[in-house]
Amino acid sequence: MKSIIIGGGKIGSNLLKTLKERGYDVTLIEKNEEICRKIANDIEADIICGDGTDLDVLHDAGIKNADLLAAVTGKDEENLVICQIAKMEFQIKKSIARVNNPKNIAMFNALGVDQTVCSTEVIANLIEYEFDRDICKIVQTFDRGEMVLIEVTINENNRWLNCFIKDLKLPAECVVASILRNGQSLYARGDTQILLDDRVYLITNHATFLKIKNYLQSGGIPYAK
Amino acid sequence: MYITIVGCGRLGSMLAENLANNGYDIAIIDRNAKNLETLGSGFNGLRVKGVEFDNDVLIDAGIKQADCLIAATPFDNINITVALVAKKIFSVPRIIAKINDPQKKRVYDSLAIETINPTELSAYILKTRIEEKLK
Repeated sequence: MKSIIIGGGKIGSNLLKTLKERGYDVTLIEKNEEICRKIANDIEADIICGDGTDLDVLHDAGIKNADLLAAVTGKDEENLVICQIAKMEFQIKKSIARVNNPKNIAMFNALGVDQTVCSTEVIANLIEYEFDRDICKIVQTFDRGEMVLIEVTINENNRWLNCFIKDLKLPAECVVASILRNGQSLYARGDTQILLDDRVYLITNHATFLKIKNYLQSGGIPYAK
Repeated sequence: MYITIVGCGRLGSMLAENLANNGYDIAIIDRNAKNLETLGSGFNGLRVKGVEFDNDVLIDAGIKQADCLIAATPFDNINITVALVAKKIFSVPRIIAKINDPQKKRVYDSLAIETINPTELSAYILKTRIEEKLK
């Protein structure tokens, strides 16, 4: 699979290394000559010194045959313009943009960039996750909340302690995916019992997550609408 | 008529002052406060300091009621981004961007952004003047 990376900073050069190791055909484009030389010394790959928003440079990098393009420079406007060119001029199948300022994510989506990655937001979320001591929390979000993976920690006050999976009164839009017990993953069936210190993983949507959280944390009516 | 000008460099500031003196409602955006100061106290338009393609900054500068937007920063990528945001998110009726690097004209064209190309214009004018002298 042919892919193009634009931007040779920490993210770009590490991505280049990873993709190379996995056997991808990768070309990296970077403006700064010094940085290009440094990367060329470290990694044996195709490196083009040039402006990633220049049509000729993208052409030289083989964008016509590329399956994937990742714009990971430190400037949001540059990443946006690259993805727009890739889409409008070269009809590339998949483009991913790094968004430096989380405030710009909505703009990227509104302008039709297929996928965005915001390192600032990812790091903030990871830190928040570490601080979050809720017994029920979101671990991963897919498709902007259409599907979420949630984790329920079983402490001595948890209503699910010692319950069997088949006896849990779960909402319809929800499935138990797995249980982590002593660092091992169990693929829970109806007759699996939930024990102390288990971590139960469920696939659901955002609205149902709030219902489950509400049920586990307050003594309210089960899954009130 | 309400006009939003993005970029308060030589071109942006001159255009802003000129249009404001002719009775247009002008808002001008620049991320650098010093650039906005060059306008002087006589300028009666709105000055907004901030990132040029930021939603909130553009809304502060009245993009929702703007009849026209001029993208005149010295950076092509910023001009393209601002023009796309104005067109696709705020549906501004008329958008014109300044080309800095003539090689980037193809990028503006492929994204259907109306442009002016000062380098090309200057070259054309110079050529005409030289030819006049030769006649």
